[in-house]
Amino acid sequence: MATAPRTMSQARASYATNSELAWWVFMRISGLLLVFLVFGHLFFNNIQIDAATIDYAYVAERFSQPWVKIYDTFLLGFALLHGVNGLRYSVEDYVTKPGRRFWTKTILFAIVAIVFVLGTMTLWAFSYEEMGAAIRALPN
Amino acid sequence: MYRGREGQWAFVLHRLSGVALALFLLLHVIDVSLVMFGPDGPFNAFLAFYHQWPFRIGLLLIIAGVIYHAFNGLRIIIMDFTGWGVRFQRVLWYGVLGATAVIGVPVLVKILPEIFGAA
Repeated sequence: MATAPRTMSQARASYATNSELAWWVFMRISGLLLVFLVFGHLFFNNIQIDAATIDYAYVAERFSQPWVKIYDTFLLGFALLHGVNGLRYSVEDYVTKPGRRFWTKTILFAIVAIVFVLGTMTLWAFSYEEMGAAIRALPN
Repeated sequence: MYRGREGQWAFVLHRLSGVALALFLLLHVIDVSLVMFGPDGPFNAFLAFYHQWPFRIGLLLIIAGVIYHAFNGLRIIIMDFTGWGVRFQRVLWYGVLGATAVIGVPVLVKILPEIFGAA
């Protein structure tokens, strides 16, 4: 979509399907949420601390806190959906041969699905509580 | 599409930063997922590799991309959902660049000394 519609009524008029209109709306809503989610993420991990000091202990301590897991789950979901749809727009703009376009998108969606599963497992399938408690108990 | 001037550069930078951020996101989730292997797994070695200065400069570029993409995204939302946004898109874009600098320069001042050991 080299030139995206510029108003809601244009968007309604120019998209052939409801799902394309829904994605147009989703990009704007998720984009607004991601401004806050991503700025927060960068503030916690790049401004409050020196990012080069991040190691297993730091990440395990963070993932032992429920609010971080919930925050990161929203971040993961919205960022991946926003990102994959943006990549899809680019594929549709630049990959013009139908066969190649189909396979590029199929591979893209498969990679994103795998990464979503990986990220969700990282956040929810492991217990970092003991590690987090042990780190917090350490004298500074 | 190629009408030149500010609107075109706003679009080109939005797309370039967006593609870069999406690809970085995929890599970033994969590298953090290495914590699943536990404290004796490959995570720490991997991070030590990423903490070398060329990657940290790359990370600064990613952060710059985030800031621009965020503010230009807000510009797009304003253009799409207000009656006046499109008329002022050029002014808004200079606002985007200004806001990117206002947030980005302090980030540089904070992080560059960390990379080059001056802190």
